[in-house]
Amino acid sequence: MKREIQFGIIGLIVSAMLLASMPSVSAELFGDANEDTRINMQDVTKVERMILEYDSETTSADANQDEDINMQDVTFIELIILERKPFPGGSLNAVMIFGPKDNTLDPAFKWTGWYVRKAGIYETLFKYNDEMELTPELATGYTQVSDTVWDIHLREGVIFHDGTPFNADAVVYSIERVTDVLNSRSSEYDHIESIVAAGDYTVRITTTDPYAPTIASLTDPLVSMVSADEEIDLVSDPVGTGPFMYDSNVFGASLSVVRNPDYWGGGVKLEDVTLTYVSDSTTRATMLESGDVDVARGLPYPQVSTIEDNVNLDVVSKETLRLYFMFVNTDPEPGRAPLDDIRVRRAINYAIDRDEVVDTALEGVGGVPAKGVFPSIFPWANDDLTGYSHNQAKALELLADAGITDIDDDDVLELSSGEDFTLNIKTYTTRAAMQPSVEVIESQLEDIGIDVTVELLGSSAIKIDMENGDYDMAFYSYGVAPSGDPDYYLTAHFDSTADYKENRWTQYSNATVDSLLASARTEMDPATRKDYYDQAQEIIVEESPEMFIFHEKELVGHHIDVIGYEIYPNEITFLTKNMYIGR
Amino acid sequence: MIDYILKRILQLIPALLLVSVVSFSIIYFAPGDPAETLCTGPDGSANPKSVEEFRIKMGLDKPLHTQYLIWLNNVLHGDFGYSYQSENPVFDHIKKAFGATFKLSVVSLIISLAISIPLGIISAIKQNSPVDVACMVGASLGVSMPNFWLGLLLMLLFGVYLHWLPVAGYGDGGDLEHILLPAITLGTGSAAITARLMRSSMLEALGQDYIQTARAKGVSERIVIGKHALKNALIPVVTMVGLNFGYLLNGSIVVETIFGWPGIGRLTVDSINMRDYMMVQGCILFVAVLFVAINLLVDISYRYIDPRIHYEAA
Repeated sequence: MKREIQFGIIGLIVSAMLLASMPSVSAELFGDANEDTRINMQDVTKVERMILEYDSETTSADANQDEDINMQDVTFIELIILERKPFPGGSLNAVMIFGPKDNTLDPAFKWTGWYVRKAGIYETLFKYNDEMELTPELATGYTQVSDTVWDIHLREGVIFHDGTPFNADAVVYSIERVTDVLNSRSSEYDHIESIVAAGDYTVRITTTDPYAPTIASLTDPLVSMVSADEEIDLVSDPVGTGPFMYDSNVFGASLSVVRNPDYWGGGVKLEDVTLTYVSDSTTRATMLESGDVDVARGLPYPQVSTIEDNVNLDVVSKETLRLYFMFVNTDPEPGRAPLDDIRVRRAINYAIDRDEVVDTALEGVGGVPAKGVFPSIFPWANDDLTGYSHNQAKALELLADAGITDIDDDDVLELSSGEDFTLNIKTYTTRAAMQPSVEVIESQLEDIGIDVTVELLGSSAIKIDMENGDYDMAFYSYGVAPSGDPDYYLTAHFDSTADYKENRWTQYSNATVDSLLASARTEMDPATRKDYYDQAQEIIVEESPEMFIFHEKELVGHHIDVIGYEIYPNEITFLTKNMYIGR
Repeated sequence: MIDYILKRILQLIPALLLVSVVSFSIIYFAPGDPAETLCTGPDGSANPKSVEEFRIKMGLDKPLHTQYLIWLNNVLHGDFGYSYQSENPVFDHIKKAFGATFKLSVVSLIISLAISIPLGIISAIKQNSPVDVACMVGASLGVSMPNFWLGLLLMLLFGVYLHWLPVAGYGDGGDLEHILLPAITLGTGSAAITARLMRSSMLEALGQDYIQTARAKGVSERIVIGKHALKNALIPVVTMVGLNFGYLLNGSIVVETIFGWPGIGRLTVDSINMRDYMMVQGCILFVAVLFVAINLLVDISYRYIDPRIHYEAA
């Protein structure tokens, strides 16, 4: 008995020791005299006060690290502020989900550009900022000369990591590497008929037809700007213009970069960065908790609250452009649910409680209830849409209007023909959130008396059923604007004249929507174009050929020391010059 | 002997053919179109035109049996094809991944032996003592504990709480720091099996007449156990260890995935996910050849360990 007590005590001591060895802050920002994680004129004042002995000294006030706090430190801090001395930003370790694994680092090869851009090596002519607005990056702007001719003006004074200048020749070289027929993604740039240098810092792009998303297509990291020096083997030796320069990599495992001291955008704060690639989400969360990494992307929902509870860690999230929604089969076919009736579709839309889906299936952290196709962070979203708030009474009223009521008091609604209202929902299991979400929706629809069956299929098996029209509703997930342009999703899903498979699946057809979308595609004035899309979205939400459930949120965990980190909703930009380790 | 080896090698051919046919058809019937999967970027959309071009370029528009025959013909000419994803030779990827797996396998084998052999011997000598019971309970636990769970526990203990080792990653080309946790995870499972086998075959050896004779003529207990008993007890253990090493070399999908180790197990699973048929076929064929070859080596090694065993090519 005594022995057991002894064991118990030893156990307690061991666990206490384990707890005591939890991660502690280590890096120091020398120059941040007042320890507010920033280096600015306040620190200069602070050091001066220390020299005058008004304030007590701190270790981080010793900016030049000579173990003495004196006027030299004041000068040193001023030089850091003026970007004449490198910022003591430290080293960052981050764990990502996917990385370059195809034995090449060439941005023009398939999707490798995504990974080398995230590492801060490459930049594009235009980009989407953290508000999803199209902004110039290596360009300064553009002029549209005619419907098919665009002049792009380039930033001057930019140099590549190898010292060669960034100019019109480099742009032509970079874009022609993509439009080359041997490039496996060249057909995505079919709209470009030619690109020529029209001066040292101007290039002229001619498109085959009027194509409004021309500028947007230049934000894809596929068209990253590379040095025109043909001697460089971009497969193993990336040379870009970004804030970080390539250092080393192990395919499938990690990629390291160092600060670009000559970055055109000014002082890059981090000294070096290592990105590790781990596909298992629990492992990524554990690496963050252990302090192995400072930033972890793609946290698993169940771990989010544990990480939030840790005082040294923080979780940030932002809506992404990934939408989870229902396809609705509006084809009036006898024997199937009467979804050709708008009232029935609207009723189902009212019966779905999106808040509950997010709170239970996504543990309250993985998404935001949707009102329309686009999330509010996307500039093309129609902010006036109210969407469908949960309202069972309204749903039942609409159904009664359509002749669907519970005639025999068995808690199941009957169609006007006297049969039970049955509804089949199909979905696939590739994404973790699909099954739990659809199960919540199933129970919500059963609450108002619809007899729902859910079928889980493989991702190609479901496509066959969709193609054959063999479904009532189908729960799917799509990225809504891969190139940042609103046309892609709306046309493929709702334009009945364009013959996309998504529209064939819903059989939705509305002449007004068709003509609004057609006008929008060729309209070059953004405000008028948005007006067309706003009107189209309003009709679509009203008529419910698809039901929009939630927008996915990206969850990133980071150590509180990491300063200046921003999530970009299109997931293309990750490392920026503003990030650093601040303590 | 040579005849025997030749015969065994000839027997391999139908086995490998069968493996390739089965794997080719299973992946073909698995849902998911490689052209669509591989032309889909991280943002989740595929350009229909690129998908069609890809299909034609990679010969995916041809019927299944034609695709198989083309592949087989290339393999017979020593060409394992090109990865759909990277457009690099499949064999280059396999070589690289196998290097990582080999490193991990050797370290886990060492860990496994370092645990299992002494434990097995001690349990056998102190049969039915509390030490024996503890070792065997430990071994049962080791066998039944799933790899992924043990891996996560080790990550938590050594990575999160103690901060002794990195949680995951490949480090600087698979350095010792990064290799330890996955190697321990893999090693303990096989250690448990080996320890049990070591114990039982040691017990059997200790029960033999020659041991009694040795003891009777006054040989010290150390030599009785270390020389007479151990040598004989090791024969079945060597077989086991050989086979185990074969398993390890095939790469553990689970352990390599949770620890982010770029080995052959992860390569296989990633290729399956991306529907990279060429790569999957290459991996499966490689693993099958490796496994059969190790089996053959183990069989041959019997002859050297135990001269009583003979093989005849009948």
